[in-house]
Amino acid sequence: MKILQNSEIPIYKQIAMQLKEEILSGKLTAGEYLPSIRGLAKDLKISVITTMKAYEELCAEGLVTSVQGKGFVVNPQDTAMIREQRLREVEDHLLEALEAAKTIGMTVEEVRDLITVLNHTE
Amino acid sequence: MDSVIVAKGLVKKYKKFTLGPVDLEIPKGFSTALIGANGAGKTTLLDTICGIVSPSKGEVTYFGEITDIEAGETKERIGYQAAQGMYPMSWTPYDVAMANQLGFKGFHEDRYWELCKKYGVADYGEKKQSLMKMSDGNRIRLCLAAVFARDTELLVLDEPGSNLDPLMRDRLCGQFREYLEEGDGEKTILFSTHNIADMENVTDYAILMYDGAVIESGFVSDLCEKYILVSGESATFDKIKRSLMIEDRNMSTCFGFARAEEKDKLEAAGAVVESPNLQQLSIFLLRYAEQQNS
Repeated sequence: MKILQNSEIPIYKQIAMQLKEEILSGKLTAGEYLPSIRGLAKDLKISVITTMKAYEELCAEGLVTSVQGKGFVVNPQDTAMIREQRLREVEDHLLEALEAAKTIGMTVEEVRDLITVLNHTE
Repeated sequence: MDSVIVAKGLVKKYKKFTLGPVDLEIPKGFSTALIGANGAGKTTLLDTICGIVSPSKGEVTYFGEITDIEAGETKERIGYQAAQGMYPMSWTPYDVAMANQLGFKGFHEDRYWELCKKYGVADYGEKKQSLMKMSDGNRIRLCLAAVFARDTELLVLDEPGSNLDPLMRDRLCGQFREYLEEGDGEKTILFSTHNIADMENVTDYAILMYDGAVIESGFVSDLCEKYILVSGESATFDKIKRSLMIEDRNMSTCFGFARAEEKDKLEAAGAVVESPNLQQLSIFLLRYAEQQNS
């Protein structure tokens, strides 16, 4: 896990975001346990309450479940729903880009070309 | 939340100072910081909890059921360290080991020497150098080695970081986290501190004290959401004055501190707000207590 100590994004958010990514990408699979909250706190040199808050956020999103005395277990993920969610994210970003393009008079063709160029340079 | 310590109506009266009545709970499996100005009563509270002095009134429950700290093996389960150290100055590291060996069943001498070496304070079996010849920092290190060499469920440490250099303070934080991880929810730390920022990354729960009373307590994440830092121009601050607990007026910018429920009102008036960290929160709450008191 990568943690930036002085980032504007709170550390618990950074942890939650990275674990979410690992769960959604299938790196962490259903039935697997997350590292213990105190173990992760030790590794990341942060307070226990910070890792706990990150895990609680994942719980609230339905990605993991807290099991009394055992820790946090990854839930089975609905792949169709995840795809739907991601698609909506892509749409939102594209809409934003189109809005910005409009303000400087770019045509849809030009935006499409730009996407192709960006895709190649990546 | 399971509590390792529950204090109810705890009062300790001295000639010139009265602690309490204090009601508090220390959550099991976490690290709790006791924060307050000099003379706020932190040491008195810790000493009363640990049975070093007996309370004038009120009671403390330990580990969910025990009300008498002298009963059974309760003291065996608690590791206490006074701010000034508690061994005679003529003692050597070896004497400290022997005393703990005699006093506590759960003391591991090998672990003690290992920690002494890790903290750079004494070699194995050191019988020559007395505490008198050590720096304040090294005396604290020695006490920490002794207390961490015991099998305990609760550590009560009075100002453990105060006389330590930044590197050793960082190592102490690491030691805290290791202890909590080992316990897997069953081991608890209660410590007092002046260095809030240095200890923030090992503080889960905070108790703030002012003039013998607890003025606020809770998990750090909850406390930081309960209050907000406010900034804005003078004209804005004229309008929002009543919503602020504290205000610092300057020519160019004004700063303030308020309860989080005022957020919408403050933003509507043109101020910007953000969540405080533990250090900022503590300073403002202690200032607020002082302001209410004067």
